[in-house]
Amino acid sequence: MYEINRRQAMVAVGAFLALAACSTDGDSGAGAKKSGDDFAANRDGAMADYGVGKQFTAAAPLSFSVLYNNHPFYPIKNDWLFWSELTKRTNVTLQPNVVPLSDYENKRSLMIGAGDAPMIIPKTYPGQETPFVASGSVLPVSDYLDLMPNFKEKIAKWNLQPDLDTLRQADGRFYLLPGLHEDYWTDYTLVVRGDILDKLGLEIPQTWDDVHNMLKAMKKEYPDSYPYSDRWGIPTPGGAMLNQVFGLGSGARGGWGFTTGITWDPNAQKFAFTGAMEQYKQMLQFLHTLVEEKLLDPESFTQQDDQAIQKLASGKSFVISGNAQTLVNEYRPPLKKANPKATLIKIPVPIGPQGPVKADANDSRLENGIMISKKARDSKNFVAMMQFIDWLWYSDEGQVFAKWGIEGTTYTKDGSGKFELTKDVDFIGLNPGAPKHLQKDFGFSNGVFAYGGSTELLQSTFSEEEVEWQKTMNARQALPPKPPSPLNDEEREQAALWQTPLKDHATQNTLEFILGKRSFDEWDAYVKELEAKNMSSYVNLVNGAYERYKKEHG
Amino acid sequence: MVTVDRTRGQRVFRAVNAVILTGVVVVTLYPFINIVARSLSDEFAIRAGKVNLVPVGFTFRTYEFVASDPTFWINYRNTVVYTVVATAIAMVMTTCYAYVLSKKHLKGRTFLIGIAVFTMFFSGGLVPNYILISSLGLKDSIWAIVLPNAVSVFNLLVMKAFFEGMPAELEEAAAIDGMSTYGILLRIVLPLSKAVLATMVLFYAVSFWNSWFAAFLYMSQNDLFPVTVYLRNLIAGATTGTSVGADATDMTVATNIKSVTMVLTVIPILVVYPFLQRYFVKGVMLGAVKG
Repeated sequence: MYEINRRQAMVAVGAFLALAACSTDGDSGAGAKKSGDDFAANRDGAMADYGVGKQFTAAAPLSFSVLYNNHPFYPIKNDWLFWSELTKRTNVTLQPNVVPLSDYENKRSLMIGAGDAPMIIPKTYPGQETPFVASGSVLPVSDYLDLMPNFKEKIAKWNLQPDLDTLRQADGRFYLLPGLHEDYWTDYTLVVRGDILDKLGLEIPQTWDDVHNMLKAMKKEYPDSYPYSDRWGIPTPGGAMLNQVFGLGSGARGGWGFTTGITWDPNAQKFAFTGAMEQYKQMLQFLHTLVEEKLLDPESFTQQDDQAIQKLASGKSFVISGNAQTLVNEYRPPLKKANPKATLIKIPVPIGPQGPVKADANDSRLENGIMISKKARDSKNFVAMMQFIDWLWYSDEGQVFAKWGIEGTTYTKDGSGKFELTKDVDFIGLNPGAPKHLQKDFGFSNGVFAYGGSTELLQSTFSEEEVEWQKTMNARQALPPKPPSPLNDEEREQAALWQTPLKDHATQNTLEFILGKRSFDEWDAYVKELEAKNMSSYVNLVNGAYERYKKEHG
Repeated sequence: MVTVDRTRGQRVFRAVNAVILTGVVVVTLYPFINIVARSLSDEFAIRAGKVNLVPVGFTFRTYEFVASDPTFWINYRNTVVYTVVATAIAMVMTTCYAYVLSKKHLKGRTFLIGIAVFTMFFSGGLVPNYILISSLGLKDSIWAIVLPNAVSVFNLLVMKAFFEGMPAELEEAAAIDGMSTYGILLRIVLPLSKAVLATMVLFYAVSFWNSWFAAFLYMSQNDLFPVTVYLRNLIAGATTGTSVGADATDMTVATNIKSVTMVLTVIPILVVYPFLQRYFVKGVMLGAVKG
């Protein structure tokens, strides 16, 4: 019995060893094959000689599924010229999975969670990909950039590596192919009644003090009015005001820009909690002065956008936050109707304590972009798909096609390279009254496919007035983007628990300080309250992640 | 109708009652009338805040504009089809189930009620449901909308209570005359249950007409959405667009267009309601009071 048992054991061990040997062989075999060509099984339909400046055309007709964010202003149509021309040029047919814009993010999470997502998942803003990283359902695209020559070229040419690094996760890779801008793009600022400036003999204000003086002069002339009544107060109070309009000048971004509440402080070379920063306090003090002198309408933080616009249109206020689009679409038409002599201008973003900057560490030249389903990696068309994405979203030709359409049909280009819509096509009011619309009838300039790109392309749809404004802004300095500080899963959960109470407390007190319900003497007390809500632990967590990343990935 | 107010208390009660109810009516009606007024107004007038109860710059152009969008009508047709089919299926399923459950002599009746009621409190959750519907191959078909919601447990219980209240002697008499179970259900019970049937049709139809979530989950083509998804995208979509500071090519949809779409979407329900309202009131009391 004993003997047999021992023999059996020996046989078993032998068999195990043999198996182990076999499997090692197998591994090394596969490894050898891999180093030859990672993508041997994924090259169907791909171009062997694809590169920058080359039109991508699949070797065989292919189709890729894509999540489609359906914009109510230009609902998807299957007979758009965009689809047919895309197939003609690239031999690729896109199969859109249509999701209403109103609930795009929910459906995206659901489909990824259920393992049912399309291959290409566009319209994902930087940071939104993070929750999907741990599940392993999205592809670490940074490993496959060699398949995307145009993307790599633009990163190098526009010096976007530091921006790109902000996307890196704790493993040093990134999971989102972002949209790329050649230059920073500021858009939101104050919109001011030009005719009132003329009447009062005022110059266009440049700095916070200029704005203050302008408002004072307006108040003197129209004592019953609040000269500055702002919009974008719901659901984020001071959405644009605390973010771009005055946040940029102060160096601490509130409103829409508050997000996780963490700001990179370039002087200290550390992250800090935005709501407790000296820069943030300066901004609140400035705004409080405006409220105190009855220059800024206290309702700015609670009223609906429409109410703010009505005040502007009816001449009860003269200053409001806005951008190029809202100026043309929402402010000028109603004002013109009420008062044909009134004019409105976008003033350059007021220069604050931070000096003339067009972008700070919180800004980036990255746009929303594309996630790719992990399962696409196993598709035999994987290489072709990456080349296709590279061509449509990142090549110059692809970007012009997605934005402007087809030369001769939807646009013409003159000798100096200036784009012009053909006579019968309208887009953002460039050809008012034309029977067809670039977005609605042709499917071009579609937010899913057309964004980012060179400054020239970006500004090709801008009015002259807006191009001038951009010139003024572009002359200013851009501070380097913040360094990566990726949290791991556990830290992320912890941070999320701290973020909400901190953010709520900061937001609430922001309003109280601005509106004068709380005096600035209590600022230290307020910071202590934040402290009690784990502010330091949170900031240390982020700074720790930053140090760790620096150590591990240089 | 003449009522005599006997005491001072009653008079006070009637006055207070009238005031409060008038207030409720105003609060309910005002937003609706405002939307109708907006739908008939000039966009600039709305922006300038001039439109309240009466249209300013009266125009039908917005209606023409919305009506000229083929997607709107395709989605509208979908809503009608989904509502009709879903209501029909739901009525058959619910009636059969409720009738069976109303029979006290049924073996395992408590268990059958139990599984129905269980779903009122527990559900599989969003992702499992989605995977279920996907692997059944129902996605992008009408069945994804009409089948998962075919039995509403609340409606089921109301109907069961109604059937239980029916005199057993009636059915026994029919059985003695040689009628089969189905014969009894179709020829005796259902004709006597018109009130509850009408109520259930109304409950189901209204809920299917208003529902958007199932379609949003399981449909991936624009041509398959009901008009509620279209409307939701129009209203919610436009607001989220600005709040994230969208890119320059994104545009918002004008207020008057939103209003017109809302009006067109509510009209059918509004037209049907007054005629079915009496059943509605009856229906709500059905489960509670047994005669």
